[in-house]
Amino acid sequence: MDKYALKTQNLTKTIGNLLVVDNLNLEIRRREIFGFLGPNGAGKTTSIKMMVGLLNPTSGRVLFDGAKLGSAHKRRIGVCPQDLSMWDALTCRENLTFMGDMYGIPAPRLEARVNKLLDLLALTEKADQTAAKLSGGVKRRLNIALSLVHDPEIVFLDEPSAGLDPQSRLLLWEFIRSLRDEEDKTIVLTTHGMEEADALSDRIAIIDHGKLLRLDTPDGLKQTLGKGDVVELQLVNSAMNAKALALMRSVRGIEEAYELNGKIVVRALDATSKLPHIIRRIERAGAGVSDVSVRRNSLEDVFVSLTGRALRE
Amino acid sequence: MTMKFFKIASKAIRETFRDRKGFFFLLVFPIFFIAIFSFGFGSGTSTTGILPHDITVVNYDVGTAVISNNTTRHVNYGHSFTEVLQNATLENSSTKLFSLHNVSEEQANEMLRSRSIEALIVIPKNFSAAFTSMVNDSARTAITSKVGAQALASGTVGQNQVAIQSSQTRTPNQTSAPTQQVLGATVSANPTGNALPKNVTLPKASNVTSVLSVQGDSGYTNFLYAQGLITTTFDQYKNDVAAKAVANAASGGSYRPLADYIPIEMQPIAGTQSFSPFDYMVPGLIIIAILLQVSLVSASLVRDIERGTLDRLKLSVVRAFDLLFGTFLAWTLVTIAQVPMLIAVATGLGYNYSGSTLSSLELALVIGVIAGMASIALALLIASFAQNEMQALELGAMIVLPVAFLGGAFFPLPPQVIEFGGMTFSVYDVLPWTHAISALRSVLTYGTGLSADIVVQITWLIVLTAIMFVVAVVCYSRVRLRPEA
Repeated sequence: MDKYALKTQNLTKTIGNLLVVDNLNLEIRRREIFGFLGPNGAGKTTSIKMMVGLLNPTSGRVLFDGAKLGSAHKRRIGVCPQDLSMWDALTCRENLTFMGDMYGIPAPRLEARVNKLLDLLALTEKADQTAAKLSGGVKRRLNIALSLVHDPEIVFLDEPSAGLDPQSRLLLWEFIRSLRDEEDKTIVLTTHGMEEADALSDRIAIIDHGKLLRLDTPDGLKQTLGKGDVVELQLVNSAMNAKALALMRSVRGIEEAYELNGKIVVRALDATSKLPHIIRRIERAGAGVSDVSVRRNSLEDVFVSLTGRALRE
Repeated sequence: MTMKFFKIASKAIRETFRDRKGFFFLLVFPIFFIAIFSFGFGSGTSTTGILPHDITVVNYDVGTAVISNNTTRHVNYGHSFTEVLQNATLENSSTKLFSLHNVSEEQANEMLRSRSIEALIVIPKNFSAAFTSMVNDSARTAITSKVGAQALASGTVGQNQVAIQSSQTRTPNQTSAPTQQVLGATVSANPTGNALPKNVTLPKASNVTSVLSVQGDSGYTNFLYAQGLITTTFDQYKNDVAAKAVANAASGGSYRPLADYIPIEMQPIAGTQSFSPFDYMVPGLIIIAILLQVSLVSASLVRDIERGTLDRLKLSVVRAFDLLFGTFLAWTLVTIAQVPMLIAVATGLGYNYSGSTLSSLELALVIGVIAGMASIALALLIASFAQNEMQALELGAMIVLPVAFLGGAFFPLPPQVIEFGGMTFSVYDVLPWTHAISALRSVLTYGTGLSADIVVQITWLIVLTAIMFVVAVVCYSRVRLRPEA
């Protein structure tokens, strides 16, 4: 068994004259939640389509469990598309059973699997309702269940929480974690929700214009990219603020320091690790710190710093 | 191993019947369609017909021998009448009344059923003999009225003789006399044309009669119009022949129509006596109902693409065969439900169902199922290229109605014949539905069993459908089921 569930090697796709995916090299580990982020039109969906065999690459290849991706791997891959994809005239249970039949799952095992998914995704009550009559949130959950009915090893979830209310989103997050932790599945998660990616992903790849920009853990990304953490310091004596500000600006690694509403605001990458040093310097200068608050660098900051602010599509 | 196509078929049927609009379109709409046609055409309509009328004349007339001037001549009134029909034109016009097709009686019968021709005239074996009887009788009556019964009572007369010879009327004592041929009849006449001489030999009367048969589909207005023109033309021909014979024989004697030696008889195709145009149309309407599947199947296939469910299936381990055969199976079941239902509804609305109980229904189902397969093949072709569901529906509608018309669902179109490899084909014959409609019409409307013609039609239907299906499956598989390029 290969260490990696899936690898892409120099994966490239051109459509007409447009280079949509440009030499993409990824190594997705087993039993990890792999965040796959990028702005609209960055090439995420095209990359995923190539990774699951729906689209032929122009060059490069996809390796599944060390072997070139082929039809033999179909049973081991699950795909939850971004758009709701189900048979409206069938009930939830019929949709799931039909999809299971298409994977050739024996009836008793299929029945058990369908019941489990209905239960885990809180669909049991809606099991006998036709998909056309379901609400958006329930449809979204059914959309996910359909990609898991055949118990795949690796699951591609493309925007799984789009349009979900907070309760459903939390349920979904728990479910995604349980897929990794209890079912040993590898999950490739595509989302525009940076909070979601941050909360769920073990590692995150950010691509733009078809190119991989950065691949790291969420913390790793936040510590090295973006505007940095924001630290607010309240001094015992606000008259010392000007002196403290001058000191901060001389500390290496501090990007910005300014006074706002009587507080000193400091912005630095990985500020939390620098915080003891900052406080020490202020105290040595004879100023006491009465209050400290830290707002961590967000993944969104990282994302924007990597991909820019310009609208894409 | 699970037979996935059964699951796919089962899913497709559930989807179809749960979609009320689709259900209406599929099952209820054809019923309305049939009801509307029953209302419009059930009681028959009259049209003037389009000239020339396509007819076939089968001439079995053996002709007759005529002796004149000591020579025996062979005349054939059947042939002569055929030529008259061939040359008959509309009054004061060069427009021909009839276009004659030279085929056998058996072929003509099939052509009548397919409405490739409008009428079939069968000239019997003794047609010329009966005609001679009529001509002789006319001449005899004319002479009799001139010379009177007394003169005739004296028997043999001198040099000037009037005789009409035929195999039936020939007598051993005839003498030579100038003769004239009048439309095939040889009449010996008084050469001077003056008052009758004393010695006159009357042509011998005979009572040979014959019947000119005009066959056609009495539910077909063009047949009714064609047979009217045939009757008029034949009456005119008989009168002309008899009148000329009388004129030659009796020198100015007036011709009066006599007892009809050759009546004309209309013979509807078996079972069509009470037929209306609706009876002709019903098989076509059934095929239209099956053709309506084209829009529905193509829309449902494109819906699978649009909604991404086809991608789900492509990602699964289902084979293209399961997917396509499952779709075919589902719609075949719909067809099996449709055909008897539509026959029942049409019969309830006055359709003269001539099928011979169960076997006809079974045959109709076989034809319907194959026509349904052709419809699915067409749907696959549309679904291979349609960009969205609406486009598939529009394309389906755009193709289905012309195909129904070209296939002869409502009325036969003028034959558009092409020659290929020394054989002739009608361009409409490339459509499998043309054969389906024709075969279904023979089975349901004309009550034909599994005849040689039906076998030929079904064979063509199968061959054309198989070709279409292979092309469609290859096309759909390449465009839709393979990974995108």
